[in-house]
Amino acid sequence: MGSADQIEAWADKYGKEIHAYLWRILGDAQDADDGLQETFLRVLRHRRAAPILEPRAWLYAIAGNVARSQLRRRRTEGERRALPDIDVIAPDGVAERDRVDAVRRVVESLPSKQRQALVLRRYQGLTYDEVARVLGGSAQTARANVYQAVLKLKKAFPEEAR
Amino acid sequence: MTKRKNLPEQELERWLAGSATPAETPAFALALDAAYAVSPQAATWRRAQQRLQDRLIAGAPRVYYDRVKSSVVGPLWVAVTDHGLAAVTYGGRETEFAGWVGRRLRATPVRSAERTAAVRRELDEYLRGQRTAFSVPVDLRHVTSFQRSVLEAARSVPRGQVATYGDIGRWIGKPRAARAVGQALGSNPVPIVVPCHRVLASDGSLGGYSGRGGLSTKRRLLALEGAALP
Repeated sequence: MGSADQIEAWADKYGKEIHAYLWRILGDAQDADDGLQETFLRVLRHRRAAPILEPRAWLYAIAGNVARSQLRRRRTEGERRALPDIDVIAPDGVAERDRVDAVRRVVESLPSKQRQALVLRRYQGLTYDEVARVLGGSAQTARANVYQAVLKLKKAFPEEAR
Repeated sequence: MTKRKNLPEQELERWLAGSATPAETPAFALALDAAYAVSPQAATWRRAQQRLQDRLIAGAPRVYYDRVKSSVVGPLWVAVTDHGLAAVTYGGRETEFAGWVGRRLRATPVRSAERTAAVRRELDEYLRGQRTAFSVPVDLRHVTSFQRSVLEAARSVPRGQVATYGDIGRWIGKPRAARAVGQALGSNPVPIVVPCHRVLASDGSLGGYSGRGGLSTKRRLLALEGAALP
């Protein structure tokens, strides 16, 4: 078990981006909050055989697992929630909201690695190398996962919809 | 806008790197950005951060558990957190229960007769037919909001009475969710205290019960309460 000081230092340094990551994937402030607590609790409870060399990638990986189980739980309960606090400013507010909802549904239906790779690369600003350190595999695999996700989204939102 | 069969890779990489202009961003990417290129509000982050700091200072939480003997439904395991009763389980081995409850509540399980005294006393009284309602707080932080509303609704069914899955669905404003209500009750973490046994199928049959002994346990609890059985 790592020292509490070290975990607090990680929370200071990476807490904000991990929270934003959970918030983006889960689309709900309360779930993101719970997810952040859960991520660091897993860190606290983790018994380490070796020191953690890449805490940022490790935290992202744990947060990804936390988010995945949260999404799975929502699915099994058939619970569809609105997006209570993601405010989209657009002239055609309602249509925009529907579209955002539709996009989220497609992203949530992607395999977990594709969803994570896409969000990590595009919205968390990680390089393919960094994504690979989070999800395992090579930078090549990370890139393939992002492209797979993009292909499915392109199919769901064709160009003429613009 | 000309229709493009394939998104040029360079263009895609520019978008992924955040350096594409809106004009060169394809429709799917604009839609995606509308949903995901937003950040949590500062207040949302501050709230989460504060909670995290408090928790890190407090260290890993604990969950206290112990056993309750009963001739009516067999032995039970109960677990209590600082927020209230978090688990009631029919029988099973101590190590299994402690491991399960620790994982579920993300806490270190500690056996404690003292911390569980109030819960054990109330359960004991109830199972002897000497108690009609429970006063111990219940910790439902670890269930989803849907399940929580179902369990709260089930809690409002008093001893000696019954409701149906459909009733619960209507009470929580989801009249078509009888099946989901049944599932939520089936994974009730605190059976007996949240009386999911008082909720029956809409056709008047007993419905289901996932506690040990299944429907015979459900029947026994209802008989103990003097409810009219189907």
